[in-house]
Amino acid sequence: MLRTDLLRIVGILVALSLVPPAYAADKFPDYPVRPASDYAIKTEKAGVTIGVQPIEDLKEQKTYFHTELSPKGFVPVFVVIQNESNGDSFLFDKSSITYGPADSSVSTPEARSKAGERIGIVSFAALSVTGALIAMKLISNASWVQENILKKELQSKTLSVGTSTHGFLYVPVPTNTPRQKITLRVPVTRTSTDETFVLELVF
Amino acid sequence: MSRTRHSFLGLLLFTTIIFSAAVVTAHGQTKSPADTTLELKAALVLTPEFCATKTKKGSFVSGKETFEIGKAACTDLEPALQTVFSSLTRVAAVPPPEEVQVVLQPKFSDVDATKTLGAFSDREMVVLLEWTVTDRSGKTIWIETVQGSAKHHMGNAFTHNKNLKLIVEDSVRDAAEQSASKMSSSPELRKLTQSAPRPSLPPEK
Repeated sequence: MLRTDLLRIVGILVALSLVPPAYAADKFPDYPVRPASDYAIKTEKAGVTIGVQPIEDLKEQKTYFHTELSPKGFVPVFVVIQNESNGDSFLFDKSSITYGPADSSVSTPEARSKAGERIGIVSFAALSVTGALIAMKLISNASWVQENILKKELQSKTLSVGTSTHGFLYVPVPTNTPRQKITLRVPVTRTSTDETFVLELVF
Repeated sequence: MSRTRHSFLGLLLFTTIIFSAAVVTAHGQTKSPADTTLELKAALVLTPEFCATKTKKGSFVSGKETFEIGKAACTDLEPALQTVFSSLTRVAAVPPPEEVQVVLQPKFSDVDATKTLGAFSDREMVVLLEWTVTDRSGKTIWIETVQGSAKHHMGNAFTHNKNLKLIVEDSVRDAAEQSASKMSSSPELRKLTQSAPRPSLPPEK
């Protein structure tokens, strides 16, 4: 009797281990990309157009990230940058982006790693009482969530003529109060003249 | 009537074969910009710090893992980029401007790897490598982030370390190959081949 139970438990564990996590890598849908000028929040300078779409809706966050980011203190902002200039290339350096409340000093948006780590910690802390095995399973699920956040993040790039880039920025927001308007400042540098100008978006 | 139809079909077939052969030959002879070497003298800066980059992930509960990405990158980047530039020299620090036309500097932007419970379940690793290319005046002329990835089994207590090494090597190799492809097809670097003066070669002994 005891042996049968043990065999059953081992069988279930083996079967569980062979089943990939419910939301493994391929199950995260891509956020639809539109031309930068199609977004409601947009700006243009010297042929460079930037359009942004903050994803405030928790349902949408669940769809694209399999987690709700706002309650964890981040709003994902989808950014499309397009070079429609006549013949110039532009350097876009992610690390030089700054953000801040519309009327105050600016700071650098959270790196994805911090957003991802916070999710990992939240998952782990919430499930630590349900047993090491389930906690491990849920942490492994969180690792797919974290990796998806990384893969979807906007990255530094050279924008050649006629090209564009897109991705998410994870902007910190307060969790217990409604957020204020945020200003996002995106510097781009023209390669031919080394001239840097800043495109500003408020949302 | 039948003979005429056969002759017509035969002629049609012959024309198609000749046309296809001509198209294939023309395609083989036309090199896309990405296929040609960049006529630039480049220095690949792989600092000891970069080569020693290790990322630690995990916790006491989930198990700590160390990803030796720097070691893998310093093995893979040079051979991957050799075919892109007419001359590529590996250096440990940024060289004096008169020695090269472009300086290639990689930096790990981010690294992540999923975890699975099952030994035979696939895990995925993603390596983000950010490139900064400067000209001889030190001006940045090109930046790009490549995303290398690979999948391998998580492995059990006996195979985990081997699988960990494999997933690191494969994801970094993927990033190296993508770096080569992006540099090779970059209009900014191609433009530089036309405008940049060649550095003076050291006198032969």
